[in-house]
Amino acid sequence: MLDLFLQAAWKVLVAGLVLGAGLPAVFAVGVRLSAAGVGATTVPAPGPRAGYRVAGVLCFVVVALAVAVGITVIVAAGFGKMVSFEHVFPTIVPKA
Amino acid sequence: MGPEVILLVLVVGTALAFDFTNGFHDTANAMATSIATGALKPKVAVALSAVLNLVGAFLSVQVALTVTNAVVHIQDDSGAPQSRFLADHGHDLLMIVLAGLVGGIVWNLLTWLLGLPSSSSHALFGGLIGATIAGLGFSGVNWTGDGTKLDGVVGKVILPALMSPVLAALVAGVGTWMIYKITSAVSDRFKETGFRWGQIASASLVSLAHGTNDAQKTMGVITLALIASGQWTDTSSIPFWVKLSCATAIALGTYLGGWRIIRTLGKGLVEISSPQGMAAESASAAVILASSHLGFALSTTHVATGSILGTGLGRPGAQVRWAVAGRMLVAWCITLPSAALVGAAMWWLGHLVGGVGGGVLIVVVLVGLAAYLFSRSRRTPVGADNVNDEWAGHAQPTREPANV
Repeated sequence: MLDLFLQAAWKVLVAGLVLGAGLPAVFAVGVRLSAAGVGATTVPAPGPRAGYRVAGVLCFVVVALAVAVGITVIVAAGFGKMVSFEHVFPTIVPKA
Repeated sequence: MGPEVILLVLVVGTALAFDFTNGFHDTANAMATSIATGALKPKVAVALSAVLNLVGAFLSVQVALTVTNAVVHIQDDSGAPQSRFLADHGHDLLMIVLAGLVGGIVWNLLTWLLGLPSSSSHALFGGLIGATIAGLGFSGVNWTGDGTKLDGVVGKVILPALMSPVLAALVAGVGTWMIYKITSAVSDRFKETGFRWGQIASASLVSLAHGTNDAQKTMGVITLALIASGQWTDTSSIPFWVKLSCATAIALGTYLGGWRIIRTLGKGLVEISSPQGMAAESASAAVILASSHLGFALSTTHVATGSILGTGLGRPGAQVRWAVAGRMLVAWCITLPSAALVGAAMWWLGHLVGGVGGGVLIVVVLVGLAAYLFSRSRRTPVGADNVNDEWAGHAQPTREPANV
């Protein structure tokens, strides 16, 4: 029982760190770049500001896509399906 | 209307009442941080959370009929009641479920009065366990399952409860630390507004996941009661009115807003900023989704509280009020046994009177207790207007900001 539990907990921790801490970090990078894009940083960033703004938006898009996948996981689970990441690209499959 | 129908109506009504308390008890899990940082106005936050809970409840198409199997032996694997309960329109099973629900509600109301975020699932399971022990003896409880998978009171309640706040705190702590590291050169104002959107989005995700997880439990309990009393026979679907009423009850509860608990989580535990709010809710959403994806039962409340604590630990210089955290910890440890005691007491009370009269008496006692707890709460009201007042060492808001 404890073995099973620790295995499950370990997986949750890894997934939690990647998605629950990694994505906010990407979002933070987005905020950092956007701030550089409008001059809201303590030290002015080198190079054209527009570039920072575009890079910042890209970060937000990555996060938004990940959230969309998260919502798909919830919805799929509700319909008795699950989202498989076997082929990297998320696909909806019947629940195992 | 025969006596068995009266008992069934009492069970359904009490189950919906539980679902309602589940809603307002857990609003804080998703929205406490957004309310505390001012990302959302209090009323807007609870309305958003309510809508998402409603949507989430309807998304749970899959039947959650076997919900009680995690802790007690009153159903078989298909979700149908065990055949020994089918005599007398399922009277024995209905009494266990009714007493268990009352145990869950009473504990939810008491912890709400004290402003303590405790797990609604633990309260429900505790109530059911107590009523089952009273009605069937200790063998009626599924303590560890058959050992091949995580099951029973130990595998589905106790171990996850020990681990989930720690996992969530770790994830939120790491997230917070990275966010502050990455954005250290960004001006505070830009940071605060920039993270608001992330905070609202992540909190919304938590609300949605809550609706899909928690409303299902009540739907399962009500359908079980219907099958036991012979009003429903299908174990692969649930009546639409059950889904509709459960979704509505949890959404209304959420909209009411458990302000006392929101205050404790948003202001009491840690003084929170937008980046921390986003880190906390993202950690909660990720841990809840990952664990339900892996078929691992967690309490939303334990995860959310752990996340908020973790975000206080991860931010350099942030203060965590350990006295508040300690109170919560105590509440978690005693939730299951306390709800079990109430559930058992209610079962005995009902059994003493016997028949439908016993069920009616239990519900009357519940209404009385609920009215008492509610009147106690009016002495120190907490609402949308004062939920964010300065925390002065106790849950009760003060009008003058304290000098700390």
